[in-house]
Amino acid sequence: MAQIPSLDHAPINLVALREQAQKELIQVLSSVRGKKVLILDPKLSGPLALIAQPTLLKENGVENLYHLSADPVPSECKNVLYLVRPRIALMKLISSQITQDNIQKLQKSHTLVFCPRRTIVCEKVLEEEGILNNVTILEYPLHFIPFDEDVLSLELDTAFKETKVDGDLSAIWYLARAITLLQSQFGVIPNIKGKGKAAVQVADILTRMQREQNPDTTAAAVTPEIDTMILIDRQVDLVTPMCWQLTYEGLIDEFLTLSNGAVELDPSIMGITQPGVKKAKVPLNSSDKLYRELRDLNFGVVGQVLRNKATSMKQDYNEVTGGGPQHQSVSELKDFVKKLNALPELTRHTNIAQHLSTYTTKSKFLTRLSIEQTLVEGQSYDISFEYVEEMIHRQEPLTSVLRLLVLLSLTSGGLQKKHFDYLRREFLHAYGFEHLFTLSNLEKAGLLRKQEAKNSWQNIKRGLKLVVEDQDDANPTDVSYVFSGYAPLSIRLVQQALKGGWKAVDDLLKLLPGQSFDKKQGVTPDHGVPSREGSVREGSVTSDSAPAVDGRRAVVLVVFIGGVTFAEISALRFLGAQEGMKYDFVVATTKLINGTTLLKSMVEEG
Amino acid sequence: MAVSVAAEWSELYNRFYRKQEIYTMCWQNVDLNRHKVACSNFGGPIAIIRDDSKIVQLRSESARAKLMIYTSSGVLIKSYIWDRPGGRLVNLGWTADEVLLVLMQDGTVYRYNIHGELAQKKFSFGKEVWDQGVAECIIWGTGLVCLTEANQLWAVTNLEDPQPIKLADPHLEEPPHCMAIVEPQFTVSGNLEVLLAVGTSVLVVDADGVHDHNLLIGPLQKMTVSPNGTFVACFTHDGRLLVVSIDFSKTLVDFDTQSGLPPEQLVWCGLDALLLYWEETLMMVGPYGDSVRYPYDEALFLIPECDGVRILSNTYMEFLELLSEATVSIFKIGSTTPAAMLYDALDHFDKRSSKADENIRLIMSSLPEAVKACIDAAGHEFDISQQRTLMRAAAYGRAFCSQFPRNKFKDMCRTLRVLNAVRRFEIGIPLTVQQLEVLTPQVLIARLVNQHRHLLAFRISDHLGLGQETVLIHWACTKIAAASDVPDNLLLEMLVEKLKECPMISYAVVAANAHRKGRRKLAAMLLDYEPRSSEQVPLLTSMGEEERALVKAIESGDTDLVYFTIFHIWSQKPTQEFFRIIQTRPLARDLFIVYARESEPELLKTFYVSGGQPQCCAELFLRESWNSGQSITVRQGSALQGPRVKLIEQAAELYSQTKDNSFEAKAAEEHAKLLKVQQDLEAATGQPIFVDSSISDTIRTCITLGNNRAAQRIRTDFKVPDKRFYWLKIFALATIKNWEALEKFSKEKKPPVGYKPFVEACIEEDEKDEALKYIVKLSDPQERAEAYEKLGMSAEAANAAAQTKESEILGRLKAFGQNSPAGALFDSLRDRLSLPGVS
Repeated sequence: MAQIPSLDHAPINLVALREQAQKELIQVLSSVRGKKVLILDPKLSGPLALIAQPTLLKENGVENLYHLSADPVPSECKNVLYLVRPRIALMKLISSQITQDNIQKLQKSHTLVFCPRRTIVCEKVLEEEGILNNVTILEYPLHFIPFDEDVLSLELDTAFKETKVDGDLSAIWYLARAITLLQSQFGVIPNIKGKGKAAVQVADILTRMQREQNPDTTAAAVTPEIDTMILIDRQVDLVTPMCWQLTYEGLIDEFLTLSNGAVELDPSIMGITQPGVKKAKVPLNSSDKLYRELRDLNFGVVGQVLRNKATSMKQDYNEVTGGGPQHQSVSELKDFVKKLNALPELTRHTNIAQHLSTYTTKSKFLTRLSIEQTLVEGQSYDISFEYVEEMIHRQEPLTSVLRLLVLLSLTSGGLQKKHFDYLRREFLHAYGFEHLFTLSNLEKAGLLRKQEAKNSWQNIKRGLKLVVEDQDDANPTDVSYVFSGYAPLSIRLVQQALKGGWKAVDDLLKLLPGQSFDKKQGVTPDHGVPSREGSVREGSVTSDSAPAVDGRRAVVLVVFIGGVTFAEISALRFLGAQEGMKYDFVVATTKLINGTTLLKSMVEEG
Repeated sequence: MAVSVAAEWSELYNRFYRKQEIYTMCWQNVDLNRHKVACSNFGGPIAIIRDDSKIVQLRSESARAKLMIYTSSGVLIKSYIWDRPGGRLVNLGWTADEVLLVLMQDGTVYRYNIHGELAQKKFSFGKEVWDQGVAECIIWGTGLVCLTEANQLWAVTNLEDPQPIKLADPHLEEPPHCMAIVEPQFTVSGNLEVLLAVGTSVLVVDADGVHDHNLLIGPLQKMTVSPNGTFVACFTHDGRLLVVSIDFSKTLVDFDTQSGLPPEQLVWCGLDALLLYWEETLMMVGPYGDSVRYPYDEALFLIPECDGVRILSNTYMEFLELLSEATVSIFKIGSTTPAAMLYDALDHFDKRSSKADENIRLIMSSLPEAVKACIDAAGHEFDISQQRTLMRAAAYGRAFCSQFPRNKFKDMCRTLRVLNAVRRFEIGIPLTVQQLEVLTPQVLIARLVNQHRHLLAFRISDHLGLGQETVLIHWACTKIAAASDVPDNLLLEMLVEKLKECPMISYAVVAANAHRKGRRKLAAMLLDYEPRSSEQVPLLTSMGEEERALVKAIESGDTDLVYFTIFHIWSQKPTQEFFRIIQTRPLARDLFIVYARESEPELLKTFYVSGGQPQCCAELFLRESWNSGQSITVRQGSALQGPRVKLIEQAAELYSQTKDNSFEAKAAEEHAKLLKVQQDLEAATGQPIFVDSSISDTIRTCITLGNNRAAQRIRTDFKVPDKRFYWLKIFALATIKNWEALEKFSKEKKPPVGYKPFVEACIEEDEKDEALKYIVKLSDPQERAEAYEKLGMSAEAANAAAQTKESEILGRLKAFGQNSPAGALFDSLRDRLSLPGVS
């Protein structure tokens, strides 16, 4: 089972993107001659698995692979290759390992490869540790990693916290760089829309990078394959990730944690009872045909779909066995065997769905869902407040409490004054005073605040029709099915951007944090003399004029700055599949997240 | 065309050589006899200086020698009086980069550019050479080697970083008869080798040792190594010219020149002929011992090129070359090759003779090769009208070939235009096609800009489709150097007008140059045109414009660039000044904080204090206290928390300094208090289980240990609300299965949390009977129903459920949760198929 997704049906040529990344990886590996040991930043091993088959390492002389840790490298190999993200903490680990080697006079040659680039800060740390001159430094410019046919991620797991809490805008720059590289391959994207502070920042840097590039040689020369880019700052819609995702894929992520396109499953889930079987990594991507069908469905209908499949297979079986061989033509048998090929997939997903339903049928889960729904509808602050209070008193898992607390704050325009200090104090008493910083991080990121101004959630909810009643989850007509009644705010913004533009909902947009913009970029008509003043001009709203003359569907790149949830991706896929929709969506993000992982990045561990 | 082109050729065995005049030298009153001459190859410039080792008659000239630099056509580039100290001028020569090296007797080497300006700092061969004095010197493209009066050899092989290397001592009493070098790129070892003719033999000297070839062919009067380093031409004392392989193992030519005197110059002409020059005679010796003599009545200087030899005299610059096959095939007398026929056909065509057609028909099958030969031959001509005729012949022939590669013709036209342009006597670079190929157009352009021929260089780059950036940048830098009296604004305007021709040109490089020339303001103005921040910022910092650099770095959004600037300012400025600069710029400040938090916490404290942010400082104290807590990994008994408490109290104090942080101040106070309580508890119980747990955890631990009094005290000390206390106590009692105490607790008063927690705690511990005690007390029938269900008492559950009204929302979600499993059905199917390897 390949973890590497097949990208053959991608709206833009992502295979080329991945091949480029593979080529560069080989280059980096072969820059050190002979046998070598590779020490990998643990956070990079997942993304690399999506880029190249594990055999690629061996083919390029990697004898052994270790994850970077504080322990010395247990290898005699003379060539040591580190592949790491530019992080101070990692530099210290590497320094201590190399110093160890030097003390023991092992005379190893150390090569340090930074992904995606070397930084001054890291070099300074290495210099202070006294090893800068003992290592060869290289770069592995891996930016967007294709997770699937329509999903690209930078996998910067602390991007949201860094930009919003620490004020470290590195992730913004990396994202702009990645988009620029994308543009050099697929052409300058003519229409850019954005909402939120980070969106403005990314667009600014993009403009700057565009200007710095040679107009003759790069992006400008390529016919644009991507029609529109929509930049959305996660801060604009923090409600959505706090809600429990109710699509099949979303639920797998919430309960079993989907990381790097795969989920680790206990053998018992897969119906294997013999002991000693280790956890199995199951890749989940569109190469799995059944998963492709199921992933975006509301979990409530997944069981039905699986049952139908099983029933139809049983019927086929009965026909084959019951009818007797004399009544079977060879081709009929062939068809049946073909269907049987789908059997392992059917087994796998039935097992997973069954396992998930053990969670979803619990009343505790249902109660929590109903509280979430109540909050999103903006009703009964008091009930929700009491529920959160009780969760703190019961010392329920930290992030689980925070998710609801944040949702409460977001949908109520902040916590009431008396509750604000009270809940914070209760929280510190229950979980420890070190979480003083966790709370202050949440405040800095706008996830938690004291009620001050008027609560605008009601207006936003009504204006953008975020809550849809009487939605049939089995035959949905609206994206709200992904949260059984709540339509993600971010997706409504995308819908609005493509249909009528944002000007129409200007009043509502003003209620959300950050500016919105809508501009055009590309080659100026007087070709050859590019204006230094910048090639970006304020443009009119593109409206929903037919995007492609030749009937091809236009590609829309939706960029979530600070992370995107699986439910949102599902919603976009649903939109793209609607009749009359002229767009194919590709999602790009800094990280695939859910509420729990987003909040985990905010938690200060003492 | 009355006289055949071939009439002037010389034939040596089966090859033809041509000597033709390229320039009549423009200079006047130059007598090569009286001068030392150095001529750069690839048609480069000529440097001459009066040879003070010869007795010369000073006519109306100054007693002080002049160093003069001319183009190959004799146009004076620069002349100035030679007044460098260092004793006798031993030798001068050009490097591959057209730098003129002048070696003085004392071992000093001066380096001049083509304009006679000192290009780089002089360097010297050192004390030993200074003491001994230089006797002789050989200069080649990338280095020089000298022989001292004491017969020691010194070499410099890397002119970028001139480090004199002493070669092995050849132990000579007398100076060698002559010397020659094998350039490093031709030797096996990759090191320079020097050949010394000593006695009848030849010594090979390199840095590591001396090797004697033990020959008897000498004494040799003159040696020259062939351009590819595989042969040596030697002139013996008895007038023979020998060509031997580089290891002296094979003799290829042995030619008697009938001359007792050694030639003044002995050079290779290509790889298979040699030129020997005695006063008034130039002799060429071919590979099979044939020879030609050319009489001259004036002094000559021979300049070897890769495809021939340039012959410089007082009046002419001539070029002697081996003719190309194409030229021979067309112009050889009586030639009937297709190319010659084609050339002839054009002639007929021009005369409107029908023979033109006949010719073409005759050679129809080999027309492409004829066309190619004409094109090639055109390339070898210096005469423009001859080039044109040959190209026309090619064009005429091409009209009859359907598939001749178009590019060949176009490329040659392009090359010829370039060659003709640089050959003009004003420019004076007599390059041939072959030389241009070896030199490469890029180097030619670099040479032109060095000569300040910017416009020509610009047009050539344009014509050949090469980047024009280098030319423009060089131009701009030269302009800045030359225009020291032009005001900044005006100069900027002039520069930008030209530079904008290239959109991606690096303004930073030009600005850096202006900065070096002391024009800071101009540099700053130029930098504003630079679109790449990564180029702007480093220059600005090195110009001392740190704040502007920081602004630009921040604008770029590139955090790495911001860090670069921050670290630079930090190292350059006093700390307070540094703080002031970053304080007002959020991105710089935040990035500094991120870095300092991990690497410079003490500096960060100073920063916060100076910025008036005690609350941030408090944060650091808290972090410090937690970090020190974590570092005590193995706690024996109870570690003293005193230092940590102190840090936290300090934090509380800092928090209380600002009004907005009363909550944090209170929290820190409580935190300190808690640590003390926990320390006491650990001391009392002797168990290290309290420190660093939360208040709730501490209460719970106390109750599970049966220490109700401690729990109560914490409850009152920290004002724990009743509700929380109830939750904690209920679950703690259930964990230790103290059902009696639990029941007692439930009856203390009406529990503020209701009875649900009691039920849950019992169910969690699997105590059905205990749970039932409390279920009946539940007031909400819905809750009751759920509790019964959990205990598997469906009848009671149904009963209770009947009393409830299901809330609307819950109903909607129920459907979602009730996933009737497809599994059961599926399992049966799978079992019956019992497919191996399916599950």
